[in-house]
Amino acid sequence: MNADNNHWWSRLYASYGLSGCVALVMLVFLLLVPLLPGKFWTHVGTEILILGLFAMSFNLLYGYMGQISFGHAAFFGLGAYATAMLFTRLKTSGGEIATVDFFVSLLAGPPVAALGALIVGFFCVRLTGIYFAMLSLAFGELLFYIVFSWYSFTRGDDGIQGLLPPPYFQDAVHYYYLTLLIVIAALAVMWRITESPFGYIMRTLRDNQRRAAFLGINVRLHMLANFVIAGAFAGLAGALWGPFSRSVSPGLLGWQESGIAVFMTLIGGAGAFIGPIVGSVIYTLLQAVVKMYTVYWPLTIGTIILLIVLFLPGGVLGMIEKRLRARRGAGAAAGPDRQS
Amino acid sequence: MDVAPYLLQLFSGLSRAMVLFLLSAGLSLIFGVMNILNFAHATLWLVSGYVTYSIFTFLSEQFGVSPWMLLPAIVGTVTLMSLVGFALERFLIRHTYERELPEQLLLTFALVLILGDVIKLIWGLENRRINLGVQPIEMLDTLVNPYQFVIIGTGVTVAVGLWYFLHRTRFGKIVRAAVYSRNMVSALGIRIPMIYAMVFALGVGLAALASGVFLPLLPMSLGVDHDIIVQCFAVVVIGGFGSMLGTFVASVIVGVVYSFSILFWPDGALAMIFLILIVVLIWRPWGLFGTEMRY
Amino acid sequence: MSAILEVTNLHKHFGGIHVARHVNFSLDEGEQSAIIGPNGAGKSTFMNLLTGYHRCDAGKVVFEGRDITNKPPHTIARMGISRAFQVSSIFSKMTVAENVRSAVHAQLRRSFSIFGAASRIGTEDTDRVLALCGLDAKRGLVAGELAQGDKKRLELAIALAGKPRLLFLDEPTAGMSIDEARGTMELVDRLNRELKLTVLFTEHDMGIVFNHAQRLTLMHRGEIVVQGTPAEVRANATAQQVYLGEHQV
Repeated sequence: MNADNNHWWSRLYASYGLSGCVALVMLVFLLLVPLLPGKFWTHVGTEILILGLFAMSFNLLYGYMGQISFGHAAFFGLGAYATAMLFTRLKTSGGEIATVDFFVSLLAGPPVAALGALIVGFFCVRLTGIYFAMLSLAFGELLFYIVFSWYSFTRGDDGIQGLLPPPYFQDAVHYYYLTLLIVIAALAVMWRITESPFGYIMRTLRDNQRRAAFLGINVRLHMLANFVIAGAFAGLAGALWGPFSRSVSPGLLGWQESGIAVFMTLIGGAGAFIGPIVGSVIYTLLQAVVKMYTVYWPLTIGTIILLIVLFLPGGVLGMIEKRLRARRGAGAAAGPDRQS
Repeated sequence: MDVAPYLLQLFSGLSRAMVLFLLSAGLSLIFGVMNILNFAHATLWLVSGYVTYSIFTFLSEQFGVSPWMLLPAIVGTVTLMSLVGFALERFLIRHTYERELPEQLLLTFALVLILGDVIKLIWGLENRRINLGVQPIEMLDTLVNPYQFVIIGTGVTVAVGLWYFLHRTRFGKIVRAAVYSRNMVSALGIRIPMIYAMVFALGVGLAALASGVFLPLLPMSLGVDHDIIVQCFAVVVIGGFGSMLGTFVASVIVGVVYSFSILFWPDGALAMIFLILIVVLIWRPWGLFGTEMRY
Repeated sequence: MSAILEVTNLHKHFGGIHVARHVNFSLDEGEQSAIIGPNGAGKSTFMNLLTGYHRCDAGKVVFEGRDITNKPPHTIARMGISRAFQVSSIFSKMTVAENVRSAVHAQLRRSFSIFGAASRIGTEDTDRVLALCGLDAKRGLVAGELAQGDKKRLELAIALAGKPRLLFLDEPTAGMSIDEARGTMELVDRLNRELKLTVLFTEHDMGIVFNHAQRLTLMHRGEIVVQGTPAEVRANATAQQVYLGEHQV
């Protein structure tokens, strides 16, 4: 068929799909970000990575399992707060924290978020579609208001300040590479999960829950497992966020924050593994640039989302995938036994 | 026992409930008929508030300040916003009927962002409120804002009017039929696209009415729509999508619970609402008055 | 031959409508049997009740000596019962091979396995089932884009991947051309013969039924009216009345 089948990029595409190729390209750029002048772009890069991880965790529920969770930011926030609170306890009265303690506090995020996801998920997996969305929204808002009003424990609307990383990681570039390392590791684990039998079962739950039950799948139990996994990854992203922005606030748990994950996923494309990260790159970069020139960022992103929903429903990667399929001929096989 | 504070909260709760009802009725109707969850509903309400304010201010400058200027302002706003709603459905919302749920939600959410900034562009950042100069009256040894009675009265009137419209008029019956089965209604030769556009316009019109009624009580400011829309969702889900009776009852529940929660747990009043929502969704997802088959 | 499935006094009503009235039914091991009846007789509902999709109001269902009454679908599926639906119920965004492979993973009890590459687990079983159902050439196609007949074949393949001992088929040839229907039923015959698979299917096409069923059960308004070999049922006066609309329950 094509003469370029033996080229390395054809083999990459055959093995890892579009996501693999895009991920490789992005990795090269991401490694080079700190070379740009000033700290600004490094900061933006860190934000892209953290929020991208958050969006990836959302897509585990949406793109792979077919449910939309409007309360997913609650787990992002829980992870952020868990880390922030442990951080605050472990730091010295002088406001500094030892490197070991810093990593210990990071470790607190995912388990707390996963526990939250276990409780919330127990109820949410009984529903699907709009009701799943509503219930997850309700839990998210409930958790938001609990954090907001429990002043003695969480400092309420004041948030938790003073999350200064240890000296080595106060340098934006060092924190950036740490984040990059953690995010790459997390994504590798996510990839393994989505390409495992469990991942395939998730897809069956997305496409036809009833049929999956008749295959012998305990639908609720599997959905709950995925919900907890997604919550844990969101918690990891939250854990990284606190020391990055030096503070946490209740807004991290709200539905507007959940909305960001949804935007990113839809912009990049929910059907591709790396879609949410692509979405994060586009969204965060756009935000950084647009805010330099105008205060009307909501108008800008609102219009873009409108245009994407109307004209690019599969997101950027979805559109690219469609073009590639068309070029290889209509009805061509979708690749060796896999989705990208 | 001193009844006064409780009575105060009751009236406050009921008037809050009526505003929620006026706002949620449109949302419930739109979802019931077209299966679209209009995130932008509260934002359209907010826009309506600003429009009402502008018309009121303009009329007051022409003819002198008077509470009676509010009526034409409301009428004007409702007309204008209904047309806006009609146009929105016709040109934007229509394209999402065949789409997945998140895409529909994102479209309306995009409208929230866009309209929010449109408000900023036209009216700037300050709050808007209307002071009708209504004096509080004394009731049971305490001061009550009589305007709350106007709100309650309006809410009940609209509720009755809506009921009459849906159950006694031909158009209303078509709308109710469409809630149950789009295809059948279409097969009966009724032009569904027109119905949808008019239902959306009606929904937005109700929201506009809600804003006009609300304006003398509390100021309109940017961001209020974000808080209110989730309460509207709660009301619609608790009451049951597409059921006006459900929306009314749920509005009363939410409004009154919120008001009384303020007495005991001010910061957590909204948490109570979400707790109720969670309970309803777990126990009876289609709501108090919703139909099980829609679930 | 022992009875692999015994149904006693099965009863179900939706509101005022009785869809199963005290039904007694049994299937012998290795049998290939059909349920027939006019529309609304309750054939599909009967299948739904047996596979846990609806709750019975009364009655008992025993499979291989174990009580499966009102157990959830996934439990029943894991015990060795598979079903194919009347309207193709497949995983439309996954490829044909992935559809079958997922069913294989479920059967292998590896559904919680997050380690191990899915595309390399269960390959043997997947290939076998695909070949059996004639879908090997189409393994890379996205299931949602298949032709109707292929979708039904995929439906069957998914059911077979569960290595069932009892297979329910709800109108397996619905919407198929004569050739396709013949091919499908010949496959079912083969499965019944070679794998000793007990098959119960519902059908409207009498030609198919008389050529591919060892025993017939005629249902009408939720009740079993006649049972026996195809010849016996065909000659039965009550059966004729049911189809001509004269039979009163």
